[in-house]
This record gives sequence, C-alpha cells and structure tokens, in this order.
Amino acid sequence: MPDPHAPDVLAFQNVCKTYPGQPRPALDDLKLRVPRGSRMGIIGRSGAGKSTLVRLLSGLDTPDTGELRVRGEVLGPATRAAHQARTGLVFQQFNLLAQRTVLRNVTLPLELRGVPRARRDALAREQLGLVGLGDYAGRYPAQLSGGQKQRVGIARALVTAPDLLLADEATSALDPETSAGILQLLLELQRERDLTLVIVTHQLEVVRAVTTHVAVLEGGQLVESGETAAVLRDPRHTATRALLDAHRPQVTLAPGETLRRVTLPDLTASTLAALTRSGARLVQAEPHPQGVDVWLAAPAAEAAPQPGAVPA
Amino acid sequence: MTWETLWPLLAQGTLDTLWMVVPAALCAQLLGTALGVLLTLTRPGGLHPLPPLFRALDAIVNVGRSLPFIILLVLLIPFTRLITGTSIGATAAIVPLTVAAIPFVARLVDGALKDVPHGVVDAARAMGATTAQTVFKVLLPEARPALIHAFTVMVVSLIGYSAMAGAIGGGGLGDLAIRYGYQRFETGVMFATVAALLVLVQLTQWAGDRAAARSDHR
Ligand SMILES: Nc1ncnc2c1ncn2[C@@H]1O[C@H](COP(=O)(O)OP(=O)(O)O)[C@@H](O)[C@H]1O
Ligand SMILES: [Mg+2]
Repeated sequence: MPDPHAPDVLAFQNVCKTYPGQPRPALDDLKLRVPRGSRMGIIGRSGAGKSTLVRLLSGLDTPDTGELRVRGEVLGPATRAAHQARTGLVFQQFNLLAQRTVLRNVTLPLELRGVPRARRDALAREQLGLVGLGDYAGRYPAQLSGGQKQRVGIARALVTAPDLLLADEATSALDPETSAGILQLLLELQRERDLTLVIVTHQLEVVRAVTTHVAVLEGGQLVESGETAAVLRDPRHTATRALLDAHRPQVTLAPGETLRRVTLPDLTASTLAALTRSGARLVQAEPHPQGVDVWLAAPAAEAAPQPGAVPA
Repeated sequence: MTWETLWPLLAQGTLDTLWMVVPAALCAQLLGTALGVLLTLTRPGGLHPLPPLFRALDAIVNVGRSLPFIILLVLLIPFTRLITGTSIGATAAIVPLTVAAIPFVARLVDGALKDVPHGVVDAARAMGATTAQTVFKVLLPEARPALIHAFTVMVVSLIGYSAMAGAIGGGGLGDLAIRYGYQRFETGVMFATVAALLVLVQLTQWAGDRAAARSDHR
C-alpha cells in the first residue's frame, strides 16, 4: 500500500503542451499527482494525450508552460539526466534494437552510462532470468513472440534499477492471455522492488487488473482521478462512464436483471454452481492476474457480492 | 590480337580500375556517411535541428548528384592537382570519383537512417543517450544492412564512372574498351573488357548482397 504521507514521485502542475501546427493542445492545463509506490493508471481514449504525458514524463519532450516535478525537483535540462537514470520506459511497440541480441538490448542502458562489460552482462542476464527469458540471451528480437519481446523490453527498462517505471500501452499489441501474463509480471516486479508504476492504457481491464489509482484523460485534460476501486464503483465523469460502458458485453438482459462484473480467484465447477444457485447467469469470462474476470447477469435484488470478489 | 597480348592488358586494366575504385569507395563511404548523418541530425524534427545548415547541405548534395560525372571531372581539375600533384592518371582520378560518390552515399545513408524506427531512437533517448551515442550505438548499427547496400550500389556506380576517367588518362577497363574497341575496331578486346567489367560488377553485387543479408537480423 502506498504511504499516504510519502512525497509524490510525480506532479504535473498546470502543464500545457501543443504540438507545432496543431489547433488543439495535446495536454491542457494538466494537474496530476502520482504518489510514491502507487500503481497509477492513466486511461483515456485515443488522442486524449496519454502518450504526450509519457513523453513529458520520460524527458523526451518539454511542456510549453507549467511544471513537471519529479521526486520533488522540477524536471528541466539540469535534472533530466538524473531523472532518466532512475526511470524505466516500456513501449507498446517494444522498440527493441533489431540488430542487437536480446542480451545486448538489455545491456544497452548500462552501456550508455559506461558500466564495464562483465558487470553489465551479469546484470542483464540476471534481469532476463527474472522475466523468464534466461535461455534467450543470444537470440534476436525477430526470433521472439510479442510477449517475449515485451519481457525483453521490461528487462531493459529495469536493468538500471529505476524507482519509476512508465508503460505506454505495454499490452495493447498483445493478445489477452499474453497481456495478462505481462500485467502479472509488472505487478510482481512493482511489489518486489517498491516501484512507482505509471501504466498508460486505453483498456479498462488493464486499469482494473493492476492499478491502485487511476486518472482519466479526455481532450488533454484530467477529468477524473482517485483510487481505482472508488472511481470504477462510482464514476463521476461521462468520459469515465463511456469507458466503462464500452467494456460491457453486449447481452440482452431479462427484466429486473443487471449486469455486474466480479473477479473470482478461479472458475471451477463449485464456484459456477454457487453463482447459479444465487440466480446469476455467467455472461463472459476472461483471464485476470488475480484469477478470472466474469460478467454476470443477476437479478437486481441479488446485490451482495460474492465472497472474495471485487465489485465492478 | 592474341590471348597472350590481351591478357596483360586486361590484368592491368582491372588493377587500374580497382586502384581508382577501392580508395575512392572507402573515402566516399566515410565522408558520405558523415554527411548523411549530418543531414539526418540537422533536418527539422531531427535529433539536432539546424535548418540553415540542413538547407545548405541538402542543396550541396542535390547539386553534387545532378552534375554529370564528366563535367565534375573537368571542374575538379585544379582541386585534384592540389591534392595529388597531378590531374592526369589513375591516382588523379580517385579525387573526382570520391567527390562524385559522396553526395550519392549521403543520400542513401540519410534514407537508411530515416528507416530506423522512431520509437527505437526514443527508447535510446529516454535512456539518456547523448546525440553521439544515439548515432553510433543505435542509428548506424541499426541501419547496417542498408549501409552495406548503399556501399554496394556506390561501388557498382564507381566502376561505371571509372570508365570515364579514361578521359583524363586514368586507364582502367573502360579506357581499354574505348581505346581498342572504339578507336581501333578491336572488337575482341572490347568484348573481353566488357566481360571483365561485368564480372567485377556481378562479384561486387553478389558480395554486397550477401554481406547485407548476413548482417540483417530483422
Ligand atoms: N508528434 C505529433 N505531432 C503533432 N500532433 C501530435 C503528435 N503526437 C500527438 N499529437 C496529437 O496530440 C494529441 C494527443 O496525442 P497522444 O498523446 O498521442 O494521445 P494518446 O496517446 O492518448 O492516443 C492528438 O490529437 C494527436 O493527434
Ligand atoms: Mg498513445
């Protein structure tokens, strides 16, 4: 659990960013705080400004106006290098170097800061072992599956032992099962290393699966933020509701039935029997890092959630 | 003409061609790559945008590429003399060949670097890579197969250009074909030199394609 008194790792203070030649700002007076040790989800539809936010956070771009504070310091030319050294970045398209082996991809950040070869090889091999790719050091990215490439991307982002990990649509190019594996890995690594994780996505299930906090972006503005469970239970802004609705399965409900979502530790015959006894119908199920995500059509009267289940 | 008299002519012609092409190709690859990198870095939206410098370099490359080689050869005579001490012969031909190939290589290198995915460059920059590190550890190595391809295309062109260097007494296979085939109607010599040129070009292309394919892990 993040310590509520810990200083924010990141704070956007009235940040504006307009790309040259664009009529509308990509980020419009953005105010956002990311508490240390949290897993912050940034969600919004395509074009909302999420990637722009990540580019500013990773020092690839600078705000037009406003300030970005990182670990208490204003991010600027003088602090950028130190910030980048403590920040890992994971991309949707992996962005591995095609002409380098898996090992050399992971050693690259160490190479750039002059770590001796024996040391960087050892660190990279250790990291590859942790993401489950210990045997793939000599391969090239083209010889890997999407999920494996993303594991290399994660190993590369973490080999320098950062305290902040940024992931921009890290699972959007992967199938649902592979995505669940990557999210599981990110979750484990975040806990083990006490990382602050900023995970950018347009997929609600990613927010639901791994984040403690969520911020909803719309048209470059922050429209809603808070603890994930609270925001998903009681969405205030129409943009958030639209994201929630877009994710609901399309089913015809019987009169008096409502659609609910719960996360179950498993989906065995006995949990299924228990659901049926309570009068609920199983509509849809998909993998989730903590078990199975299921959509139920249930009579409105049947309101109490299942034991151990997380309300949608 | 008999084989005994033809053979030494062919051997000398091939050696002269190689003596012109190989040093010119190596110099042009080095300088052309540097110019190509500068174009990539300084263009608007590049890693180090410097629009005035970019426009100047871009214009120079365009002029260099549109100038016919034979004109370049003549224009460069004072410069060639300055560098090699003479404006005649195979060694002197190295200078205009190099100068002709530089903009050609620069354009190909610029294109090759543009094909390196933007995201890969972003990844390196987010890791804190300096511009020099981005160039030498990411852009150039990632473009290696395309750079080898550029080198191959350039060498093949230079073999062709070197034939024109005969005009300044450069010697080489092209010169042989013109002197014997065109001026003395020795069709046999002409065919033999054309065959030698073909073999040279084919070998270059084959070796270049092979090296590019072997270095490409995509
Ligand atoms: N390099 C760029 N040049 C011009 N406009 C851009 C650029 N990158 C993004 N934009 C614009 O900025 C807005 C936000 O984009 P982005 O941050 O990529 O959104 P998201 O990641 O949420 O889809 C969009 O309107 C997009 O078209
Ligand atoms: Mg995006």
